[in-house]
Amino acid sequence: MGAVKQVRLCGLGGQGIVLAGTILGHAGINDRKWVAGSSSYGAEARGSACRSEVIISDEPISFPHVIEADILVAMSQSAYDKYIENVESEKGIVIYDDPLVSTKEINGLKQIGIPATNIAATELNNKQVANMVILGIAVEITKIVTKGALISAVEKNVPERFKALNLKAVELGLNWEME
Amino acid sequence: MATDVRQYLRLEAPPMPFCPGCGDRILLRLILTAIDELKINMDDMLFVSGIGCAAWIPSPHFNADTLHTLHGRAIAFATGAKLFNPKLKVMVISGDGDLADIGGNHLIHAARRNIDLTVICANNMVYGQTGGQVAATAAKGVLTATTTAGNYYRPFDLCKLVNAAGATYAARYSVTQPTLLISSIKKALQTEGFSFIEVISPCPTQFGRRNRLDTPKDTFKFFEDKLITKEDAEGLSPQELENRIITGEFSNGSS
Amino acid sequence: MVLKEMKSTLPPGSYYFSGNEAAAEGAIAAQCGYYAGYPITPSSELMHRIAARFRETGAVFMQMEDELASICSIIGASWAGARAMTATSGPGFSLMQEAISYAIMTETPIVIVDIQRVGPSTGQATRPGGGDMMQAKWGSHGDREVIAISPWSVQEMYDQTINAFNLAERYRVPVILLSDEAIAHLRERIEVRERITIFNRRKEKGAPPFGAGDDGVPPMPAFGEGEKLLVTASTHTEYGLRKTNDPLVQAKLASRLHYKIVNKREEIIEYEHYHVEDAEVVVIAYGFTARSSLFAVERLRQEGKKVGMIRLKTIWPFADRLIRNLGAKVKKVFVPEMNIGQMAGEIMKYAPCDVISFSQTNGEVIHPYTIMEQLERLL
Repeated sequence: MGAVKQVRLCGLGGQGIVLAGTILGHAGINDRKWVAGSSSYGAEARGSACRSEVIISDEPISFPHVIEADILVAMSQSAYDKYIENVESEKGIVIYDDPLVSTKEINGLKQIGIPATNIAATELNNKQVANMVILGIAVEITKIVTKGALISAVEKNVPERFKALNLKAVELGLNWEME
Repeated sequence: MATDVRQYLRLEAPPMPFCPGCGDRILLRLILTAIDELKINMDDMLFVSGIGCAAWIPSPHFNADTLHTLHGRAIAFATGAKLFNPKLKVMVISGDGDLADIGGNHLIHAARRNIDLTVICANNMVYGQTGGQVAATAAKGVLTATTTAGNYYRPFDLCKLVNAAGATYAARYSVTQPTLLISSIKKALQTEGFSFIEVISPCPTQFGRRNRLDTPKDTFKFFEDKLITKEDAEGLSPQELENRIITGEFSNGSS
Repeated sequence: MVLKEMKSTLPPGSYYFSGNEAAAEGAIAAQCGYYAGYPITPSSELMHRIAARFRETGAVFMQMEDELASICSIIGASWAGARAMTATSGPGFSLMQEAISYAIMTETPIVIVDIQRVGPSTGQATRPGGGDMMQAKWGSHGDREVIAISPWSVQEMYDQTINAFNLAERYRVPVILLSDEAIAHLRERIEVRERITIFNRRKEKGAPPFGAGDDGVPPMPAFGEGEKLLVTASTHTEYGLRKTNDPLVQAKLASRLHYKIVNKREEIIEYEHYHVEDAEVVVIAYGFTARSSLFAVERLRQEGKKVGMIRLKTIWPFADRLIRNLGAKVKKVFVPEMNIGQMAGEIMKYAPCDVISFSQTNGEVIHPYTIMEQLERLL
């Protein structure tokens, strides 16, 4: 069995969770991996809790939804609360937007707070690209896809007029110095 | 000299099903006469019809490609054939119940899109084939199998309807006005865009019988008495025009 | 030759498509010349992609006023020579039923993609269901034979859409791609091959367009070819002349429309089997549920449990012989479905063993653990 990574990105509708998932999936394809992705759909994806799942594997994927997340990226408290129980307890990693999310202690679970929304607001003057910042940081921490694959996936999936800003945000995340 | 329309007919088809005195038989001849006068090759024509007596005008009698479809949907079928192969000259021939009642939505949208179709609507104010029920085109007060106390509702003005929706050409004539009708059909066939002709085509069997019009002649007279040309109708009040059938061309200005 | 090898319209390679996008690309690869549709969740992205991509390929796209117009216009286009398609979901599929019956009677090749959502009626528009399995077979009056395929992956949304066009043209019959929201909105890596095989409509000048042909399937001319076609869904002779009072003509036509599919079912039907040889309990599944089932079966096999799985890729015509033979060998079959036992009922007709139906109609896909739990109880 080759490596299978189950990733769940979650937050509120409007934070760009679905786009981040699509970009991560595309990055997996760029790395010649097998990928399956699914998201909240329709009206349900706007304003309320929103989720996007990506499975990245060295082999074809049998069941295409996340059964237990290896990586949870949470950008809102409600989403964190909803999905925190469904993270792999030994090797799982949680990356959350600090201080939007306050965590609860779970035995052995590695939880890393990143001020993604603050970084986007202060460094790029645009909270809208916090999704790209946190995605870049998550990739840097977990190495789930290569940097080059991620950057080219952003280029492919973001409309021309927002491209430069999104690229800047994702690179900011990829190069973020952890304290 | 009357045109010999037999050359356009599928002679192996069974005898025509129209009742004695049916307006549709006259309409059949007038359509073929217009085609003959325009020297259109029947191999270039596609005739699409729905369900009802008038839908049997082209199918199986016209010796050309014919598509006999579902009740109300002839225009939708015709739209697909025309858009995929624009070389086809597509004429839809059906009744008022088929085109305007059950199929009314397709009629207005084809007119709105100004699809290059010619639609001939044989209007007899009644459902002939299914036993003489009221149609949305029936004049107020007429007796049918389902309006035994007289039709309570107003009739649809189909020319106004398709005009409002954007048809390039709209006209109304009766089978009792053969010359005008032939020239109108020719015009419609030469129109690029959506062309529509409402043809008053009396039904002595289902409509006449129920309205005490005992012979085909009486039924024809009933309709003829209602006819008034667009020019004569000008300046008349709505009350004076109630229950009259205005004939003429009601083009949209763009043709 | 009726089979033709073609270059794929997309450059070969890996793509990250949703099921809806993959079906649209499959249609384009299959040389679909005319698409008409009416928007409905969860199928709309398929139409969006067709609308954008047909501008590049030159095929004709129409957004019609409703589903009735959509399917009728693709039937008209098919007779004008197009490979033609529409896509919808349950409520729209219901509206299309009368015209599907028309296409069966007039032997018109069309492809209908049905992205199932949970019902009845409006139900939950963004949630998957499997409630249209019987509607695909029996959705309108008359004894009707259609072909229906159930894809389980985004790759199959592409491959099976191409296959659907080939089957429709080969057998002159409506082919229904019975997918659902879970597959249509799933994104997966798919591989696009360089070459694909396309079935070209068989033509024979002057031959009866509704005759028996060599194998019950007559050749199919198009409008504008000088054949002076008579197309009608009233009972008709081999040249399309209406015969609405002749019992012999009716019986002959209805029988041919049935047997031209049923007699070829071994050729049409596709399925897959996993660990069936020594299995005591066999799961029979299709579509997304087969993904959950296979996951469960593989896990239980690792624990030494004698379970297996059959995946039905073709739903209609039904794989009756397969099920009869299987049922003679195993003790129990387990049928998990996102409906209340629609296919389980069909399986019960043929399987001479216990058939256990498991239903989940809450708008969620069936989780692999749920299937594992159920199977452990049966072992």
